[in-house]
Amino acid sequence: MGYLHKASKTLRQWKYMSSTSFSSFPFIPFTNRITHPRFCSNSRQNNKEQNAIDLNQYPPELVRNFSIIAHVDHGKSTLADRLLELTGTIKKGHGQPQYLDKLQVERERGITVKAQTATMFYKHSVNGDNISDGKESCKFLLNLVDTPGHVDFSYEVSRSLAACQGVLLVVDAAQGVQAQTVANFYLAFESNLTIVPVINKIDQPTANPDLVKAQLKSMFDLDPSDVLLTSAKTGQGLESIIPAVIERIPPPSGSCNSPLRMLLLDSYYDEYKGVICHVAVVDGALRKGDKISTVATGQSYEVFDVGIMHPELKPTGILLTGQVGYVVSGMRSTKEARIGDTIYHTKTAVEPLPGFKPAKHMVFSGLYPADGSDFEALNNAIERLTCNDASVSIAKETSTALGLGFRCGFLGLLHMDVFHQRLEQEYGAHVISTVPTVPYIFEYSDGSKLEVQNPATLPSNPKQKVIACWEPTVLATIIIPSEYVGPVITLVSERRGQQLEHSFIDSQRVFMKYRMPLKEIVIDFYNELKSITSGYASFDYEDADYQQSDLVKLDILLNGQPVDAMATIVHKVKAYRVGRELVEKLKKAIDRQMFEISIQAAIGSKIISRETISALRKNVLAKCYGGDVSRKRKLLEKQKEGKKRMKRVGSVDIPQEAFHELLKVS
Amino acid sequence: MLKSTFTPILWVLFPKPKSSKLSSLILTNTFTNSTQPVRQNASLKHHTPIITSPSSAYIHLPFCRKRCHYCDFPIVALGSASMQMDDDPRVLNYVQWLCREINATKVEFDDKTSLETVFFGGGTPSLVPPRMVSTILETLRMKFGLSENAEISMEMDPGTFDAKKMQEMMVLGVNRVSLGVQAFQEKLLSSCGRAHGLKEVHEAIDIVKSCRVENWSIDLIASLPHQTCEMWEESLKLTIEAQPTHVSVYDLQIEQGTKFGNLYTPGEFPLPSEIQSADFYKMASRMLSDANYNHYEISSYSKSGYECKHNSIYWKYKPFYGFGLGSASFIGGSRFSRPKKLNDYMNFVRNLENGLVDSSAGDHIHGKDIAMDVVMLSLRTARGLDIESFKESYGNSIVFSLLEAYKPYVESGHVICLDEKRKSIRIDELDDYVLNESNTEKRLAYIRLSDPEGFLLSNELISLAFRAIDS
Repeated sequence: MGYLHKASKTLRQWKYMSSTSFSSFPFIPFTNRITHPRFCSNSRQNNKEQNAIDLNQYPPELVRNFSIIAHVDHGKSTLADRLLELTGTIKKGHGQPQYLDKLQVERERGITVKAQTATMFYKHSVNGDNISDGKESCKFLLNLVDTPGHVDFSYEVSRSLAACQGVLLVVDAAQGVQAQTVANFYLAFESNLTIVPVINKIDQPTANPDLVKAQLKSMFDLDPSDVLLTSAKTGQGLESIIPAVIERIPPPSGSCNSPLRMLLLDSYYDEYKGVICHVAVVDGALRKGDKISTVATGQSYEVFDVGIMHPELKPTGILLTGQVGYVVSGMRSTKEARIGDTIYHTKTAVEPLPGFKPAKHMVFSGLYPADGSDFEALNNAIERLTCNDASVSIAKETSTALGLGFRCGFLGLLHMDVFHQRLEQEYGAHVISTVPTVPYIFEYSDGSKLEVQNPATLPSNPKQKVIACWEPTVLATIIIPSEYVGPVITLVSERRGQQLEHSFIDSQRVFMKYRMPLKEIVIDFYNELKSITSGYASFDYEDADYQQSDLVKLDILLNGQPVDAMATIVHKVKAYRVGRELVEKLKKAIDRQMFEISIQAAIGSKIISRETISALRKNVLAKCYGGDVSRKRKLLEKQKEGKKRMKRVGSVDIPQEAFHELLKVS
Repeated sequence: MLKSTFTPILWVLFPKPKSSKLSSLILTNTFTNSTQPVRQNASLKHHTPIITSPSSAYIHLPFCRKRCHYCDFPIVALGSASMQMDDDPRVLNYVQWLCREINATKVEFDDKTSLETVFFGGGTPSLVPPRMVSTILETLRMKFGLSENAEISMEMDPGTFDAKKMQEMMVLGVNRVSLGVQAFQEKLLSSCGRAHGLKEVHEAIDIVKSCRVENWSIDLIASLPHQTCEMWEESLKLTIEAQPTHVSVYDLQIEQGTKFGNLYTPGEFPLPSEIQSADFYKMASRMLSDANYNHYEISSYSKSGYECKHNSIYWKYKPFYGFGLGSASFIGGSRFSRPKKLNDYMNFVRNLENGLVDSSAGDHIHGKDIAMDVVMLSLRTARGLDIESFKESYGNSIVFSLLEAYKPYVESGHVICLDEKRKSIRIDELDDYVLNESNTEKRLAYIRLSDPEGFLLSNELISLAFRAIDS
């Protein structure tokens, strides 16, 4: 009954739309045409609730695609939850908080890693009148794209923005504008998106919305009177958000009559359905059963299922111009679904849409199975995980110390961490990772150039003389309360940063821009920055050019034998300190063994640091008491298991912890 | 390459634990220098250990006057007041349960052999009145038979017996005494909670000698708290002067839950450092060897012909019975440990009588595990691992990977490779010897750990062998 009622209601609404306010739309007859057969077939097939959603009622004018962008922790995901509840998409108090953060790692760390989309419906009176007036209002289709806040995932952010016409720029009422606020603002601004500023968390005792308004004005020229004030926690001000989205953000601008063009936003692999693509329909319409092709491969697929994320997959059989949804086709792997690709109807000719900049890999690290024999298991896990995280680059590599493994390129250090964590949590893989490195370029006297993603591949004693080395740099944005300027400048200059800009956001806060070697921020810069500023600093970066630099390869030798997986490339000035630190860490991490072990750090053939681990003197169990062999056996088994987990280089057993320890040296 | 092809071979060779090759391994793995009765012979080779009847029995007598500070054994502390043990109902009661266990034990062997060795361990077996020891021996004799010249050992503590008791025990058949001296320093004895002093030590030695116990051992503990090099040297010197036929030198193990475990951390004061402790071990090895004791096992020394036959059963992977609280048995290829608490033990005996449990159906040991047990036990001995029989049972590849793992340690002198005549093989000749199949003269016959360096690091070396076998 309820369903029927709903259906009739939507029908009436559609009549209202077609006959009154939107009667001038040229595509209405077109949608009308396809509505009928669909309704017929559905009524026989019966009455799943999904059928209640008829996308034909949502011409582009009734569609709004928007995203929420914010600095990390400014309440983006909570705000998304509230909007989902407000529109009845999820029930209040049901489902997990941070609904769109589906990954375990996202919940644990309280961060969003993957962009997620949800479609919502909202009734709103077109000319701004109150619904309760008895006036009929239109139902709008809203697509909310939740984006990651962390700097590593700005790639995901820009990708999601491509499907949007506007954004909610969320700023914490107490913390004000932070580094990622700045970065995300410019991403949206450069994409010509409408920006709806929202000051969130106004319920906090330290909230100072006026100050934040002033910041938004001075930094981004956003009109204070446009700013919405909310508390996603208490619900204050929430009701004004969606109307603002509808009224301020323009509808998608595609053409309904043009041939189909869809932008492939994201893809992931589902065990039951296969590859699921998130798409934004730019022009035309897509129906179940259509034949589609991608520009990149030209391969043709049949559309098995099409629908929206509401917020779970909900088949609709159709996606129309301006709408965002999912498509299941016969794709076998996400490799066929290139993010940013254009999808079109097979045998039509379309102009490809501008894609995205490909993900740029900033950090490389070797990933090896903790237990050497588990290579296949790790291979499998990585393959499946990259199905859901196409932004990781993977290449097989071999290390003498660690055996077969992979060289992986990541967008940043958090991305790398998250990837590790997902490998362990979702696929049960145990990995050893090598010290992360950035891609360097070495130029030799014969004019040849070598790009180094793995320090081990750089010859320690090259035949040709190195005439120049280059390292990637970033433009770093740091926002801090002014009392921390001193220590931050010290830290940044230790990390070889050059100041480009230093200005005041307001009387208390300083905005600084630096050019820094990427290598220097890769390991623990953000943590250091947080700790010297009591957590008040905010930080973001974008990649910049390569700069010439004085780089050397630092080898670690155990009993005179270099351990390839421990080699690093460092700035010459830092080589001695890093060498000493590495050697000290290793001395602590490696157990005494039957032989003396020498640990050395070397540049070329020059030893710059050395430690010795003395030989084990005694390890004997004196007695098998009363023939109780099992007890002794257990002890030795344990010892054996310990040894098995170790990696052997020459005669030296290296525990896995040693590799983990090395990660902490910058 | 080797690794990947290795596992399948092993599993083909050992589809079941009941491989007939097994027994040959166990039976050939004997001491070259031992003078034990030559019961094993070629005809036995075709028997599996499953039906090889044990010829040894361990009897646990858990009573002590008090618990020593390092001890985590299943013992029953009687209190120092009860010197007159004859009346203690706890002892009588226990002995009754023990005999019930012996009687309830299933014997399902074709070739029923009499016991060749019996070992009374504890606890402090010498606290038990001789008439009760007699009951136990009688029960064993009735049940399994007791060989005429069986080795019957008893752990005896100074201060728990006089000449009369010693003689009574000897009349019952006890012919080997293991005297728990532990140290020759009053201070050390009291600090490790022993129930006797130095005076009792000397008295006990005198009693054993005056009673003309031919085969006796002094047991010492090295690396006690506050023990100095001088003290250790003195203990060894006095031991040698007492002229026992056997000396056991145990290294103090700090066990969790013991008084020492709560007080001390291995390697830290007042315990000797690892280096000191290693020096103690080397000193014992040197001094006892100089005094003509053979270092025939990691912690055992003996005059020629006086190796403890009972303990040798363990190293040789031969079956043995175990009776009493917490004792371990190895019958028909399975190991079984009895409950460590008295009530649980009594329940166990009751169930055994009712046929509800079977002490010979413990953890069955399979394929690789047997190989590991054999390696672990044989490498404790000076004889070492018999390569030929090991190869026969487990195939060439396992021997190769073991040798591969041991090569650096052969070079460093921790591991010694020996030919048929027990002449050590030079490292540069080793490959020839290993590959040689035809010439029995020039064939790798044994691997052993060196004394003292290899023995000292036996845990490391044995776990390396485990890794080689398991990989």
